Amino acid sequence: MEDLTSPLQDVRGAECAADTTDDALLRQFAGGDAAAARQLTDRLGPRCFSVAMRMLGNRAEAEDVTQDAMMRLWQMAPKWVPGQAKVSTWLYRVTLNLCVDLQRKKRPDCLDDVPEPEDEDLSATERLQEAARKDALQSALSQLPDRQRQAVILRHIEELPNPEIARIMGISTEAVESLTARGKRALAAILAGRQDELGYEDG
Amino acid sequence: MNWGTKMAEDDMKLDQLFAQARQARPELPDDLAVRILTDAETVRLDRMKPADPPRSVWARLLDGIGGWQSMGGLVAASAAGVWIGFAAPDFLPDPATIIFPQDTSFVVADLGLDTTFLEDAE
Repeated sequence: MEDLTSPLQDVRGAECAADTTDDALLRQFAGGDAAAARQLTDRLGPRCFSVAMRMLGNRAEAEDVTQDAMMRLWQMAPKWVPGQAKVSTWLYRVTLNLCVDLQRKKRPDCLDDVPEPEDEDLSATERLQEAARKDALQSALSQLPDRQRQAVILRHIEELPNPEIARIMGISTEAVESLTARGKRALAAILAGRQDELGYEDG
Repeated sequence: MNWGTKMAEDDMKLDQLFAQARQARPELPDDLAVRILTDAETVRLDRMKPADPPRSVWARLLDGIGGWQSMGGLVAASAAGVWIGFAAPDFLPDPATIIFPQDTSFVVADLGLDTTFLEDAE
């Protein structure tokens, strides 16, 4: 059962009936219910887009991947077997695969800025440091191997439990733990080389 | 600073970055939501279209030879063949005499061969 109170939930999804599962909505859509598509988009679209943004670091590409992944969801709807897996698990997997495919096709590119809300209370220097930190995480993430990057994003940014990450990635829970641990160590090492630039004080 | 303290500090900084990234998770852009819903509607309407009725053997056969237009050409060619069979133009040999020759000398002469050996035999 989906946790509809999760912070991952888009605010537009608040109007969804809390007891309707993604499974049921997908079945309704397959049966010709257009409103079910809107609810599924509100629930799953932001998650899909968030992961694609972190995986690709490029807004236009993340939008294309999100649209493509959701299109596959609409097309797959009549074949969906309820109760076999979570719709969100399926969609995360499709999104990650599309991201990997896209990255294999293109050369390593410069990273676009991840859109972040500005904090009015920060000074100009603090704001610059804040922006640099955010770019630093995105930049460091982009240097990780694909599987480590996927595991770290799903665990530490999407806050998914390890068993669900294991299902998404098609590996064991132990393998997820190993990937996230190695990914975090690699990220720390990458970021350590930029501490002065990021305004972190070395104790 | 010992190694363990350094590791713990790195972890803390990383966790701080993750927390900031979670707070700044991007919302689904409105125009993207519209594109996604347009796709959904296209798929939904496409699926609701009634299936094509089963087609007859003749209709499928006609499609196989290229439809009514090619059927017209086929009929014209067949009619021309029948007409040539009944009333061949002068410049064509009569097909009946080719199949059932009545006069061998005529046929041999037609072939332009030397016929002196036939005359000798007579």
